[in-house]
Amino acid sequence: MIAKVLLTIWMTVIIVAAFLYADAAVGFPGETSRILFFHVPQAWVATLSFLLSMIASCVYLARRNLKADYLALSAAELGLLFCLLATASGSIFAKAAWGSFWNWDPRQTSIVILLMIYGAYFALRSAVGDPEKRRVFAAVYSILAFVTVPFLVFVVPRITASLHPEDTMNPAKPGMDPKTLKVFLGSLLAYTGLFIWILRLRLRLLNLEGMQEPEFVVTEKMDLEGEKQ
Amino acid sequence: MKSGRWITETGSSTYLSEAVAIWLRDLRGEFRTRYAVNAILMFAVTTLIAVSFSIGSFRIGEAEQPFLYAVLLWIILVFSALSGLSRSFVKEEEAGTMDVLKLSARPQAVFLGKLFFNLTLLGALELIIVPSFILLMNYEIKLPGLFTAMVVSGGIGLGGGTTIVAAMIAQASARGALFSVLSFPLLLPLMITAIKGCEKAAVGANNPGWPEVRIAVAYSIVMIVMSLFLFPLIWEE
Repeated sequence: MIAKVLLTIWMTVIIVAAFLYADAAVGFPGETSRILFFHVPQAWVATLSFLLSMIASCVYLARRNLKADYLALSAAELGLLFCLLATASGSIFAKAAWGSFWNWDPRQTSIVILLMIYGAYFALRSAVGDPEKRRVFAAVYSILAFVTVPFLVFVVPRITASLHPEDTMNPAKPGMDPKTLKVFLGSLLAYTGLFIWILRLRLRLLNLEGMQEPEFVVTEKMDLEGEKQ
Repeated sequence: MKSGRWITETGSSTYLSEAVAIWLRDLRGEFRTRYAVNAILMFAVTTLIAVSFSIGSFRIGEAEQPFLYAVLLWIILVFSALSGLSRSFVKEEEAGTMDVLKLSARPQAVFLGKLFFNLTLLGALELIIVPSFILLMNYEIKLPGLFTAMVVSGGIGLGGGTTIVAAMIAQASARGALFSVLSFPLLLPLMITAIKGCEKAAVGANNPGWPEVRIAVAYSIVMIVMSLFLFPLIWEE
């Protein structure tokens, strides 16, 4: 409860500071550099949660622990959510800074593939009836998808020659303005806190739903083995 | 079970002999029904005719031809493969032979057998579609060696990346659509690589070491090895 209130206050402070305290970075059109305080933490949280989902999937395959699957599922859900947010905010920046919402910049390409992979992940989860199978398949698919990601480095044309500010005019390099740095780190913290808070809510919900699930699940083929949990 | 007899006949039942037994059994089944071949080939031929008819051989300017034709060729190949490759496992599920297969061979052997079968199908598909595409579209290729290597390695990647997905969707509902949905994100890096490789082969670009072919081979190896690791998990559920 206290954590929730603190998080709300901290988030508010960061949003106000992002617009009033920090200065707009030089080299960006107008006030567009303020995207840094929202877009980058969103992308960071998306990466964090996809990674978490992958690790939880591996743990589930090794231990068959239901909690690990809940973690994999909720982290993938949140990852998709934050990935969509990062795509949307990045695309608004792209319109302001590069002139079009979408231009298949390497970053945009890789984020679209990420969205496709996790879209497929949820399609798979919804299509498998047997809960035990669903968990294993989802975990296997998420590992398979993770394995293909490194190949994108070769594939996405000239991944280093992106228009993305990290390469062209990076405000996060050592010379970053101290005020900007303060707000940026604060925002990272706020978004990570938000992520952990939603993740815990989702996990609690999944646990409650899991308790309601019948102990033995009768599938189409009357496979009475059911859940081992 | 005929498949069982094959395996015991080989005596020393290694992974490879089991895999080959499953492969031969699937091939024989395929010769009898010709279901997968017909589905994949007709899909590919229909798409090829639609593309060729609507574009013709002079519609696209000469400068753009190498790239756009490579794109079209790989779209035809990938989506034809996606239309029928899931058959290898779906047919076991439909015929109710899944459990017997689980008893008669080790999981990795089943995977390899199905992989061989899918690769055979893909080989047949490419053998028919690629030459027809080149003829129908007047696709000029300056480096036939690179082009062939790209098509072959791309085909192996296609089979390597989709066989384990086929095993998963065979046990799910809404199979047809799900197979494409799940496979496409996994295949995308391979497809883009193959398109680039074929474009370079058509242009005759100076391309030492054939990096695209190497990426496709690496992709195939990674996917097949990962599948061998993961397949027992989804097979023995």
